[in-house]
Amino acid sequence: MSGLSLSHEPVTGVPHGKLAMWGFLASEIMFFSGFFGAFIVLRNSNLDVFSASAAELNKWLALVNTVVLIGSSLTMALSILQLQKGNVKLFRLFMGLTILCGLIFLVVKTVEYSGKFHHVLDEHEIMHLRNGVPPNPDALLPGINPSTNVFFAFYFLMTGFHAIHVVAGLIPMVFMFFKSFTKGGYNHPVKVEALGLYWHFVDLVWIFLFPILYLIFPAH
Amino acid sequence: MASTHHHDDAHDHQKDYIKVIMWLLIFTFLTVVAALDWIPASWGDYGNKLHIGIGLLIAFMKAAMVVYIFMHIKFDHKFIRLFIGIPLFLFSVMVFAFTALESFY
Repeated sequence: MSGLSLSHEPVTGVPHGKLAMWGFLASEIMFFSGFFGAFIVLRNSNLDVFSASAAELNKWLALVNTVVLIGSSLTMALSILQLQKGNVKLFRLFMGLTILCGLIFLVVKTVEYSGKFHHVLDEHEIMHLRNGVPPNPDALLPGINPSTNVFFAFYFLMTGFHAIHVVAGLIPMVFMFFKSFTKGGYNHPVKVEALGLYWHFVDLVWIFLFPILYLIFPAH
Repeated sequence: MASTHHHDDAHDHQKDYIKVIMWLLIFTFLTVVAALDWIPASWGDYGNKLHIGIGLLIAFMKAAMVVYIFMHIKFDHKFIRLFIGIPLFLFSVMVFAFTALESFY
């Protein structure tokens, strides 16, 4: 048996960048698990407030975002395929589409957030969302915001962290996209693959956020 | 042992991806339909549990497809399955355990 070589891992054959990304994603699962676990436990003990609050959310906008994000996962996977084949033009096309989908997602999210911030609570909503406690009139955001109740604290926390992940994914994508137009081009399929793993993970988080925040509450 | 480089059968991947996206869209449609108000109110708490159960089940099925095909777990070395499988397994145990706890409230 030959000696141990540290320069190359012969067992997995997985490039180090991809392996590191998997390690990072494993830690990301635990990061989001904390939110999901706390959300479920608090949901169980505040079911009425959670149901009334979830009814305020716009599930059609969230559906649009689900389709957009799933679509961007497809274009991401296709862009990796094209770069591996050396087809730079199609790589650019699919990477560009992925960036576009990411931006559409953020625009829809912004529309959703600002709709909440500008939504002034009426008597009925104050009763059901805040147990009759009127919101602070001097608050920075007069409408529905993270301090409205425990559901919205989690709603903004989870979707906010998710949106930050989308932004973080878009930055290297934009870099790769524009780098591919330069003289040297962009020929690092493994890096795009690692970024792809991250992007699919962002999609994955949304796949759980969509039903858990928007869909699974009893009709109100 | 399976090879880890699949540049030759790239075309097949493309077919896989298209198939997966179709299923993801179908499941997304189903999860929205399932969340509509179709369960009779007389089912009471069981109706709520059915809502949650269907929602979570579809979400886990969608997640499995993304991880398996888009993230190439199906084609990569088995070591990675273990690597990511353990946290995912713990996550699903937590979700179902905490959801099941609901019956104690």
